[in-house]
Amino acid sequence: MKESLMDILCDPLDKSELELEVDERDGEEIIEGRLIGKETGEVYPIEDGIPNLLPPDMREE
Amino acid sequence: MTDTPQDSVKATYDTIAEHFAATREYAWPEVESFCASQQIQSPPDTESIGVDIGCGNGRHAETLFEQTSLDKIIGVDVSRELLHTAQTRATNRGFIDDLALIQADAGSLPLESQSVSIVVYVATLHHLRSRRRRVASLSAVARVLESDGRALISVWSTEHDQFERSNGFDTTIEWTLPDGTSIPRYYHIYDPVEFRSDLESSALSIVETEISSGNCYAVVEDN
Repeated sequence: MKESLMDILCDPLDKSELELEVDERDGEEIIEGRLIGKETGEVYPIEDGIPNLLPPDMREE
Repeated sequence: MTDTPQDSVKATYDTIAEHFAATREYAWPEVESFCASQQIQSPPDTESIGVDIGCGNGRHAETLFEQTSLDKIIGVDVSRELLHTAQTRATNRGFIDDLALIQADAGSLPLESQSVSIVVYVATLHHLRSRRRRVASLSAVARVLESDGRALISVWSTEHDQFERSNGFDTTIEWTLPDGTSIPRYYHIYDPVEFRSDLESSALSIVETEISSGNCYAVVEDN
């Protein structure tokens, strides 16, 4: 995902803001990292450039 | 893993993604004409955004890219495997730079309120189990739409020749993989009156409705 996508993304649980943590990037493109709910503390992984913003009860494992 | 109803939709489409995507080559004409008729009027400094909910292999994200002047398209799907097929399609067809892909649930869209000009939500709502969940998902569409934004919503309906019943019902429809394996998929088959009623129960208001190729369509806006 591009970093500019942060402008529109929010926490699926309460629509509050997300914080971005980057492990791997390619220019503007975030390849690996995570989004963290500022209010909920929930961690949403970014893998292969695609953020997984499923609510926790719909995630695998 | 918790086996909530929506997990099964995700698991189903993760399993059939590659074969399913290969059989979903062309955009629906109803989606093409809807997209082509939308005028995008976002304020000068704002990016105009279109969202395809249940984007699958990205064929209608591609339609949004081709038929509108949107600055950015977002494809949302519950299945990661389907999102990968959309990633491949967008790369091969040259619209990957304008496309963002997000794994998310149609019932809890992780998008800011009033941020989207156009929503395409076709052949997806009928996979959500329970009426409450479907209406909540329709209200989520209303929440993300800008005040002059529009959405096209479609569901499979009792008007299709395949169905002999005239009232909406829950059913399971098998997807058969090339090796013969059958994978069940949950559907709520809508009747047109019920579709209208679910739309009216949500925060959306109806602009127009249509029945085409056995599907109910509605063009809607935020109430």
